Amino acid sequence: MALFLGTAMVAAAVVIFIIQPVAKGIHASLERAEDELTETEARKRVALLALRDVEYDFLAGKLDENDYRSLKGELTAEALAALEADEKAREQVGSVGPEDVEAEIAAIRMGLHGEAGAGCPDCGFVNESGSRFCSACGHALQAQVSG
Amino acid sequence: MTVLGEFALWIALPVAIYGMFLGFFGGKTQRGDMVLSAERSVYAVTFLLTLAAVGVIAAFLGDKFQYWYVASYSNRDLETFYKFAGLWAGQRGSLLFWALLLSFFSTITVFQNRNKNREFMPYVVGVLQGIFTFFLVVLLFAKVNPFEKLAFMPADGQGLNPQLQNYWMTIHPPMLYLGFTSFTIPFAFAIAALLNGRLDTRWIVLTRRWILLSWFFLSVGIILGMRWAYEELGWGGYWFWDPVENASLLPWLTATAFLHSIQIQENRGMLKVWNMSLVSMTFLLTIFATFLTRSGLIESVHAFAEQVRIAYIFLAFLGTVTAGVVVLILYRLPQLQSENRIESFLSRESAFLFNNLILLGAAFAVLWGTIFPLIAEGVTGQKISVGPPFFNKVNLPIALVLLALAGIGPVIAWRRASKRNLRKNFLVPVVGSFAVSAALWIAGVRHGLSLTTWGIGVFVLIIVAVEFWKGTRARARIESESLPIAFFHLVSRNRRRWGGYIVHVGIVLIFAGIAGASYNQDVRKHLMPGDTMDVASPWGHTYHLTYEGLSTSIGRGQRNLDWQAIALISVRKGDKSLGNMTTEKRKYTTADQTMTEVGIHTSPEEDLYLILSAVDDLSGVLSNNANAQGIDLQVLVKPLLSWIWWGGLVLVVGSIIALWPSAERRRDLEEEKPKEVAVPAGAA
Repeated sequence: MALFLGTAMVAAAVVIFIIQPVAKGIHASLERAEDELTETEARKRVALLALRDVEYDFLAGKLDENDYRSLKGELTAEALAALEADEKAREQVGSVGPEDVEAEIAAIRMGLHGEAGAGCPDCGFVNESGSRFCSACGHALQAQVSG
Repeated sequence: MTVLGEFALWIALPVAIYGMFLGFFGGKTQRGDMVLSAERSVYAVTFLLTLAAVGVIAAFLGDKFQYWYVASYSNRDLETFYKFAGLWAGQRGSLLFWALLLSFFSTITVFQNRNKNREFMPYVVGVLQGIFTFFLVVLLFAKVNPFEKLAFMPADGQGLNPQLQNYWMTIHPPMLYLGFTSFTIPFAFAIAALLNGRLDTRWIVLTRRWILLSWFFLSVGIILGMRWAYEELGWGGYWFWDPVENASLLPWLTATAFLHSIQIQENRGMLKVWNMSLVSMTFLLTIFATFLTRSGLIESVHAFAEQVRIAYIFLAFLGTVTAGVVVLILYRLPQLQSENRIESFLSRESAFLFNNLILLGAAFAVLWGTIFPLIAEGVTGQKISVGPPFFNKVNLPIALVLLALAGIGPVIAWRRASKRNLRKNFLVPVVGSFAVSAALWIAGVRHGLSLTTWGIGVFVLIIVAVEFWKGTRARARIESESLPIAFFHLVSRNRRRWGGYIVHVGIVLIFAGIAGASYNQDVRKHLMPGDTMDVASPWGHTYHLTYEGLSTSIGRGQRNLDWQAIALISVRKGDKSLGNMTTEKRKYTTADQTMTEVGIHTSPEEDLYLILSAVDDLSGVLSNNANAQGIDLQVLVKPLLSWIWWGGLVLVVGSIIALWPSAERRRDLEEEKPKEVAVPAGAA
């Protein structure tokens, strides 16, 4: 008898637990959470990480300068495309970021388009715009755009 | 408790079916209440399966031999520890155990994602509940219910196969099962992505750590199984290409391929269909492995299964899933197009692709060698077996190319490697590898395959070492850190990458250990007490063994032991004494055959492995006749064997580093990004 009662209670508890949301209309969210990456954001992130990696490979001495420049050029173009695609996607959903974010994006774009180059304060070599380190002597360049 | 457990199994089936339908339907119609209800059904199934498992364990601990499963795998004298492990000792329990482990992983998944990744969850739950439904149907209707009762109550059970009474054996199956079941989670997310149409890399990013975790468990499970075979089966080997061993290797091969190919999709947006296929293939192979082990289809060391009927249910499930995946991939084909092409044969993409093809080739060869005997038997009616020579012949060249790729992949450039790039990165490792090979040749190593293996191994080790050194040096310079700190930060900022390199080192050690087998020594001699025997090691020294005599212990009956005959051998290596070693014959009350327990002395350069192959006069020995002491002793010297276990340990360390939760990704980007391409805080 006790066994029968026990099993019946287990069964009843399970059924109530499962049915409750439907019976009482408790809804789980099916929306994407705000801090999750959208497709375009994910793409942008990958492009930026690839840029980071190529820079690392160069600094670690795994890429020589010619390879580095040509790869970086390609990756920069892709990163830029990804940035623009993401921005477009944002405009479509109508969520415009705060002003400072917009300004930052503009600055990034400037940097990627290569409109400004910087001389190395140490050796004077004129580096590709947006370089973090001098290609000639490895001296850290305080970035033109503060991050 | 046991009755409640059986009852729980019956309730779990309708709950799983309900959850499956509500998951899919709720996802399709975007009904949040249905989805929540489906998610709760996962918790409910976990609870019910836990009750069922507790019921089985309670039946074992309580010696309830009226249950067929308990009577077949336990007896009163069995140690409590092994009674507890009875849950996975046989087919019936292990099917329940499979479902139980999956339910734990499913619960973790549902709980972790209760507030995020909501677009995936309805379908993930649907897929998981579909798989539970399958396993519950098998358990309840395929005549493999662990709660099935006998018509009578036997006084005692038949006991557990003595070969399974080994500590490795109690953790090896759970490890493999953890690997098999945890791979279901990435599969569920992949199917969810196909269903909800979110086909970018999101599903991969979400399941990366599950994939690694599953791979980790599979690797450890396989290595533990090898260790068990080495210590317990008493013939000096660790791998026999047994169907069940192959069955565990198959998903490992495809999971390894998957682990590498997702990096191409993540970085270059390629191979989307391939990755979907690989994740499904791996899942299907985990089911196939369970099926092969637990259906009784193939007789092997492990297959202690009884019926063939269950095979049809498994095959139907495999067929349905395969068809479903193919249809879904075809349906989504337009969205699964590659975003890029492979630009050059000399690139990391093509190295990864090559690695994939080779792993798949190996998987196919192993699969073919495993099921060919079945097909042949079906066609010709004669049972044939495909032995180790086939597998070794096919897989050795494959394995060597794979080993070389473990070195090439990490340093070759993405997109296209220029000649300069190749020279810069490969000159030192190639020269180093040839130098070491030449040194080995001069030292007298003439076995071509082993020499090649060690040469390639050195190549990979140099590459990994140089990678670590270059990375640390660059980081130390950029961040003005000391070398140890830079090293620590380097690894902790990209655990997957550096952990992966450490795993490669582990693989090299394992290969090096396997290659040592070319220099195995095997000597067998008849000995009387006081006789000596010398065995030469390929390293140049000699082992002097003196047979001291045979001692017996009879009929104590503890741990089901009937008798033991223990040969005592004192061992000297050159002039140095290594003390005494023993090897024995054993008879258990629960088994007909006598078992051999081997003696192993391990050192970094080689293992000394003693096997008591035969006793001249067993009945004389058992009646303590002083003249009945003659034995046949087989002595194996196995160079570098322990490197396999050390390699396994390194592999574990590397996997754990790769798996270790990394700090929030966003922070990584903030800190490491090139400054000029700063990511807006809210966007990444």
